[in-house]
Amino acid sequence: MARDLAIDLGTANTLVYMKGRGIVLNEPSVIALNRQTGEVLATGREAWQMIGRTPGYIVAVRPLRGGAITDFEITERMIRLLLQRVGVSRFTRPKVVICVPSAITEVERRAVTDAARRAGAADANLIEQPMAAAIGADLPIDEPVGNMVIDIGGGTSETAVISLGGIVALEAVRVGSFDIDAAIQNYVRREHGIAIGERTAEEIKVAIGSADPTPDENQAEVRGRDLMTGLPKTVVLTPEEVRFAIEDVVSSMVASVIRCLSKAPPELSQDFLVRGMYLVGGGGLLRGLAERIERETQVPVRRSNVPLEAVVLGAGHVIEHYEALKGMFMGARR
Amino acid sequence: MAVVLIAVLIVAILAGGTLLWARSRRRPDGVDSFRRQIDALSPDSRRPTIDRMKPAEPPSDDEDGAHGT
Repeated sequence: MARDLAIDLGTANTLVYMKGRGIVLNEPSVIALNRQTGEVLATGREAWQMIGRTPGYIVAVRPLRGGAITDFEITERMIRLLLQRVGVSRFTRPKVVICVPSAITEVERRAVTDAARRAGAADANLIEQPMAAAIGADLPIDEPVGNMVIDIGGGTSETAVISLGGIVALEAVRVGSFDIDAAIQNYVRREHGIAIGERTAEEIKVAIGSADPTPDENQAEVRGRDLMTGLPKTVVLTPEEVRFAIEDVVSSMVASVIRCLSKAPPELSQDFLVRGMYLVGGGGLLRGLAERIERETQVPVRRSNVPLEAVVLGAGHVIEHYEALKGMFMGARR
Repeated sequence: MAVVLIAVLIVAILAGGTLLWARSRRRPDGVDSFRRQIDALSPDSRRPTIDRMKPAEPPSDDEDGAHGT
């Protein structure tokens, strides 16, 4: 008998929750392929370690960008391999709930469900990431009060106001933590004349990146390839430089939160001042982001205890109470 | 005699099938389903799922994947 699954198919990481068991898989959404034969060489963490370090015949790719499938065939193969790893076979076809960005188009929606069905799911339904995050972050969404959740993912940033189990206001932008990495890469190339890979850019973000000045800031040594000489070179980056590099991306995230606040009904707006907003998603771990949003909105921002797992836990709860909560699936309400 | 038995059996199967089909087609009561949904979203109901949070492979510092989901 197949155990039903909830999948957070994120741009950066994929998490799988198995009914009755909890989170059984948490891996980067990366797949490594032999370019010549099309053979899959690695997935998940193993493939992530190959990014930017492969010989010409191997390509390590992220099949999702901005929360959307950019390569349908590769995504399907990645989902199939993930399902195999958690014990799904052609004889055990589980029901699957997949978390997707709320701004997903009809075509993208169909692409995700088709990929899951072809990969071995008996039935595939979608749920909006902010809704799943609110369930997983343990917000009182069963009450008639305004709950605001900000989900900063790898490719999307979504803000939703939820009350009585439904989305009241929603704002989403296709900007996420990968855009922060790309902004750092571009800055270092433009201002210091060295090329760095996306993994190095991410390491800089984690080490000294911030959205607002923070206490005990340090500089970081960055190693890359000099664009003029082609030789390895080391430069020193300051936290101010990184803040300047990522300012446009951070501003775009904050502006999206402000737009969502302005869409919320006034009766719920007053709840935010008391209860605050909840920040989830890996992008929300950027230092100073909560403080920056709080400063610009004048609304308290709290971090979830489970920022990376909130979305899959919420979808997992839907799988645990499938019959009662199937009205929350995308398309079910419209 | 056998023909009559078969006919009765067919009628019984058809009647049972129709009954099941009609029950499956019956629209759930709006108040009931809303109540069930809200109950399933209550903190008490969510507690077992959230308590079940045990990442299979906690990422180590040097091998952590990208931030963001």
